[in-house]
Amino acid sequence: MARDAILAEELTYHYGELVAVDRISFNVAEGEILGFLGPNGAGKTTTVKMLTGQLKPKAGKATLLGMDIARNVEKVQGEIGVCFEEINLYEQMSAVENLRLFARLFNIRQFDAEAMLRRVGLAGREKDRVETYSKGMKQRLMVARSLVNRPRVLFLDEPTAGLDPASSEAIRSIILEERERGATVFLTTHDMMEADKLSDRVAFMNQGKIVALDTPHNLKQQYGKRALKAKVTTESGELEEREVTLDTPETPSAVQKLFAQNKVVTVHSEEATLEDIFIKITGRGLTE
Amino acid sequence: MNWRIIGTLVSKDLSLFFRKKLIMALTALGLVFYLVIYFVMPSSVNENLKIGLYAPVIPPVFEQVQEEGLEIEVVESEEALKEAVAEGQYIAGVVLPADLMEKFQSGQKPKIILYFTPDAPEEIKDAVEVLIKELAYLQTGQTLAIDISEEILGPDMVGMPIPPRDRLRPLLAILIIMMEMLGLANLISEEVERRTVHALLVTPMTVIDLFVAKGITGVGLAFVQAVLFMSIVGGMSRQPLIILVALLLGAVLVTGVGFIIAAVSKDFMSVLGWGVLSFIILLIPSFSVIAPGVITGWIKILPSYYLVDTVHRAANFGSGWGDVGINLLILLGFSLAILWIGITVLRRKFQ
Repeated sequence: MARDAILAEELTYHYGELVAVDRISFNVAEGEILGFLGPNGAGKTTTVKMLTGQLKPKAGKATLLGMDIARNVEKVQGEIGVCFEEINLYEQMSAVENLRLFARLFNIRQFDAEAMLRRVGLAGREKDRVETYSKGMKQRLMVARSLVNRPRVLFLDEPTAGLDPASSEAIRSIILEERERGATVFLTTHDMMEADKLSDRVAFMNQGKIVALDTPHNLKQQYGKRALKAKVTTESGELEEREVTLDTPETPSAVQKLFAQNKVVTVHSEEATLEDIFIKITGRGLTE
Repeated sequence: MNWRIIGTLVSKDLSLFFRKKLIMALTALGLVFYLVIYFVMPSSVNENLKIGLYAPVIPPVFEQVQEEGLEIEVVESEEALKEAVAEGQYIAGVVLPADLMEKFQSGQKPKIILYFTPDAPEEIKDAVEVLIKELAYLQTGQTLAIDISEEILGPDMVGMPIPPRDRLRPLLAILIIMMEMLGLANLISEEVERRTVHALLVTPMTVIDLFVAKGITGVGLAFVQAVLFMSIVGGMSRQPLIILVALLLGAVLVTGVGFIIAAVSKDFMSVLGWGVLSFIILLIPSFSVIAPGVITGWIKILPSYYLVDTVHRAANFGSGWGDVGINLLILLGFSLAILWIGITVLRRKFQ
């Protein structure tokens, strides 16, 4: 059984009277991708700040690779890579200079910046100033920067937000490659499709609490509804949509009845999305 | 504290500093401008002593005096003499009593009043006094007791005559140091504004490493330029160690102010706004050197006073540790206190 890369116990943080994170407990196994989902203000960023040593918890405890984060901030930060949502690169420096700066901060003596830039698709532009890059290129450089120290735990905050499909796909591939390497990925995102596609498990956060944590499949099983949707020809010759709910005692007879008339034109299955489940659990959408 | 990380950050900051064309241009132009100002200012003072004389009866010897560098002009009344001295037309005014000759002859002690300009050096006062006694001797052929009364018209500023451009040296050195205060504040403010500091704070770098690096960058930039300037203009020829210490403490002071400006600013414009305000306030004591007497004692509450005064006294008069030691201690106290405040407010902003 994989060890816990991250373990949070009753983790709490408040800004004055406002409770941002309210006694949350969860674990992330080594090599796992955890999708961390929630609307703005749910407490995701504050949680990430505590897990990356930027904020000290007001109560509770969090460990990373077995180290108490609050007590071993420097050691913890040597093992993590963080990719922020907002672009925060040194724009007057080149991509190579940006990466080399962080390699020196992590005390990596033989760092091949060019190879890293090739990996994120920035070959040929590595010596240009970052201020001349497009948003997609900057975002790819941000991901590259988070990988400089070959982190054992990678925190990614909206890594594909606002990117074109090709750039998004390139970043998703890198995330999966990192998982293959053995890295643990803590993925904060609003993109439910992305979370569904990449995450081994997802955590829903709402008003400072984790309201659900499981694999996407289990969450769909537990909270979602599966159905068959068919288009059939009516006696008057028009197309009509029919739906048969799956996983109920009546399902077999309903399916039999649907196909018995031999008037089915198209049929497809439908399952709940993570967004549907989030709305069902919290009563609010992710973008609210 | 990790010196490898600090070195990396300093190198990064210097690299960014030298890539900012505007800041670089201002720094280079400033340095050249200050040097030009220094070298176009007169390099010597007019040592010709012009003395005003009021005497109802002028002793013959006063009319005959012909000494190089000495010029005596007769004034019509004591009031006119005082006015002329106060306006700086004469470095000294001499009032002889109407019964001077009678008192000389009867062996009595005549009373002679001397008026001086506020910035008349002690040496000039002594010289005028000696001159009066000499003239009395020449007049009577014997050494006479004279009752000399001195009066300063305006605040007394004892000092040596200093060439105007040397008076400017502390001002220009401080201008250079303070230019770097703006540069440093802008560098930090930009780090916060562009959130690059967040990226640094999730590496093994500590906040202390960050502050030490910023401090070294700020102090280094300010100190090196000020020392360079002072060396070029000959300000290091007397008491170089004292001047180095003073400039170093000054650099620490402006680094602290730079931290505070960065903490309260949101962008380049606010850095400029707060920077110019701080600039003007810290510059005020420099005027006490350029125009002695125009500024009163309250300027001693400004920390830059102790920097200006120390540089002025050490560079222009050769004052030693005993003379400026207290100044340096006060400057050290101010610099550390302001640096501490700067670190505290900036740390809060980073978090």
